[in-house]
Amino acid sequence: MFKDVTLGQYFPGDSVIHRMDPRAKIIASILYIIAVFCARNIISFAALAASALLLILISRISMMTVLRGLKPILFILVFTALINIFLTRSTEEAPLWQANIPVFSWNWQPSIYREGILRAIFTALRVIVLIIGTSIFLTYTTSPITLTDAIEELLSPLKLLHVPVHDFAMMMTIALRFIPTLIEETEKIMNAQKARGADFSNGSLVQRAKALLPVLIPLFVSAFKRAGDLAIAMECRCYRGGEGRTKLHKLEYHFSDFLILFLVVAFMAGIFVINHYNPMGIGI
Amino acid sequence: MNLLELQDVSYVYSEGTPFEMVALHHVSVGFEKGSITGLIGHTGSGKSTLVQLLNGLLRPKQGKILLDGEDIWAKPKEIRKIRYRVGLVMQYPEYQLFDETVRLDIGYALRNMSLPAEEIAERVEEAAAFVHLDSHLLDQSPFALSGGQKRRAALAGVIAMRPQVLVLDEPAAGLDPIGRSEILGGLRKYQESFGGTVILVSHSMEDMAQYCDRIVAMNHSEVFMTGTVEEVFSHAQELSDIGLDIPSIARIALRLQAAGIPLQGSLYTVSGVREAYLRAIAEARQMKAPSEGGDRRV
Repeated sequence: MFKDVTLGQYFPGDSVIHRMDPRAKIIASILYIIAVFCARNIISFAALAASALLLILISRISMMTVLRGLKPILFILVFTALINIFLTRSTEEAPLWQANIPVFSWNWQPSIYREGILRAIFTALRVIVLIIGTSIFLTYTTSPITLTDAIEELLSPLKLLHVPVHDFAMMMTIALRFIPTLIEETEKIMNAQKARGADFSNGSLVQRAKALLPVLIPLFVSAFKRAGDLAIAMECRCYRGGEGRTKLHKLEYHFSDFLILFLVVAFMAGIFVINHYNPMGIGI
Repeated sequence: MNLLELQDVSYVYSEGTPFEMVALHHVSVGFEKGSITGLIGHTGSGKSTLVQLLNGLLRPKQGKILLDGEDIWAKPKEIRKIRYRVGLVMQYPEYQLFDETVRLDIGYALRNMSLPAEEIAERVEEAAAFVHLDSHLLDQSPFALSGGQKRRAALAGVIAMRPQVLVLDEPAAGLDPIGRSEILGGLRKYQESFGGTVILVSHSMEDMAQYCDRIVAMNHSEVFMTGTVEEVFSHAQELSDIGLDIPSIARIALRLQAAGIPLQGSLYTVSGVREAYLRAIAEARQMKAPSEGGDRRV
């Protein structure tokens, strides 16, 4: 049941994006997110869509994988699209469609405006591009461990303010490291309880929630036990936080990192410029 | 007669993705009623997949699984009924314990079966006796038990269903010798008193020789060899080619035979080899006695 979720998964590879420095990737995806939210008209949205396609091609992640990664957000997409279509009101133009539905004494007038449809399409596109962009730059092409390394490096200035950056990074690493383990364990326990006649898919909501207890209790017990074991194992290897710790794999910027960052900045600037140039008058 | 039978069963994990992996490839094998069958094979040979297909935790991509001659997936909605008839104890089953007391935990499956309270109480006691779990432990929290006791409690939780077929994946892994023999001996007793069919996955060839009637050896997602313990272990070379082994005592017997000691009989358990050896000595004495007239030791 968890196997179909590709969002947030790492796919090892050797593309230009895979080889980027993880810090550069984080910065690039932040800039990319800003660009995505600044797009305002049809040309800049077209540029966004093109850039997302380009990113997929460069990273050599298969299109199917990326599309499957979008499945979990399908509900959000449809939901926001419907809200946008039905709740957007424009004062400047007449509605494309309007109905009169009497609800008790009040007359409900659902109406659809041209602007609402545009908003729906653009918002959906924005979310899709946002997800594709960030997952290509970060999760799909960066292993969780390098990612937390990069976060630690980027946040290291906060150490001056006595923020325990290293400890946070270590916590994140451990949490990420144990997600697959916990998923595997959940499946194992579910199977064991199914073998004893547990039924997770039928019955009322309350019944189904109750049926999960025999899974959650052993899962928590083993997670706590695992945490204790891990703490002991770390202490056995003299772990005592970040002070004086050196790294085997030091992060280093390369020329290509600066080049890609430059391209992303140029793209962002391009979006800003296009926003002011709207030949077709289609935009939000 | 085969109580449980696989007909041309294939199973593939993550079909249609880059992670696709064939776990079983056109496997046909039968498990005889009232027998204890050992399932051997090195890691990754498809044993665990096979075991999960037997009680419908996995659904075969191809082929049929017949229980008492009926396809277990004939009515997918009633697969739970099949799971009560084919009891599965997974590897390291301790993690499945969850309830307040051991008694409640063993009764979990029985409550799912909606049995009356008296019968549940009776079956829990019975199952605990089969796995040698002291009755004073029944009212403790399962999390307060030792590792071996947890294992027994988990086993009892499945045995209590009185399944027609009991499937166990490495039930004795990580236990001390006494725990091993008590649990595996309990299976023998279970099989004898209920006429149940037992399928036992294990890496210990000694346990296989001692407790099983028949053996199914798997290799590379396929059934490599089936037969009685004697038949399978007489192919020592083939077994070692697929990364398996014969019991150590059987290897000693082979060496003794090679050294000229004529051993005969069942040479796969310590007691069997001991008997054969004593017989061989006795025969050797009789041969020598008339010619030399004395009782010199051989």
